[in-house]
Amino acid sequence: MIDQSDDTKGERVIGTGAGRALVAVYGLFALAAGARATVQILTRFDEAPLAYSLSAFAAAVYVLLTVALAMGRRTLALWALGIELAGVLVIGTASVIDAAAFPDETVWSVYGKGYLFIPLILPLVGLYWLLRRR
Amino acid sequence: MLQPLATGVIVAALLLALASLIVAIRNRAMGMVLLVGFAILEVALLVQAGITIAAAVGGEGPAEKATLYGYLAGTAVIPPAGVFLALAERTRWGSAILVVAGFAVAVMTGRLLQIWAGHA
Repeated sequence: MIDQSDDTKGERVIGTGAGRALVAVYGLFALAAGARATVQILTRFDEAPLAYSLSAFAAAVYVLLTVALAMGRRTLALWALGIELAGVLVIGTASVIDAAAFPDETVWSVYGKGYLFIPLILPLVGLYWLLRRR
Repeated sequence: MLQPLATGVIVAALLLALASLIVAIRNRAMGMVLLVGFAILEVALLVQAGITIAAAVGGEGPAEKATLYGYLAGTAVIPPAGVFLALAERTRWGSAILVVAGFAVAVMTGRLLQIWAGHA
């Protein structure tokens, strides 16, 4: 089974309870972002290499977070959440300033507008979940 | 693609999400009603995928099929994955997972209809 001993010793387990709901949401975004990036890269990578590479990067971050939360890897999850928050802020801002560089929507375009801004809220919820009562 | 079936899927998925929300608010784990409900939804999704793929292979639908097949596969994966997690999490949060699953199936089926009509 999954080893949860190292990161979570003496602390709350992060992959159960409300944490399991968080795992489900991250799993859904890993699926959505991963499928979108795969289609973009396989069918029309030449049109916007930067945007589509970032799309794939976002998908990788969601996959990493799903696994880290499910396995209770607190430190890994914190790093990934930091990268996710930075990513959605930087790419969100970049897509507002230079819309031409992002012709096709990525998960993080305009702070996740195409996904009800959930990509912007999710890392904040995740950080709250990991840092509460410490 | 079958419009009435897609509409039925969206309505059923939203009803299941609402029922799951009520169960979660009442602080209960997933019960038999939700389990059977999501099983029926899954059957409907598989039928829809079969009909849609048959029509797409027959030349109907959008020129670019990859996104279409991606959405069909994605929607079909969500109910089993949600139920699997809800079985592992026998608390209100398991029911909360099903709220997400039902809502996601409804939204993705709506997108599927747009993609089928060519508004990718």
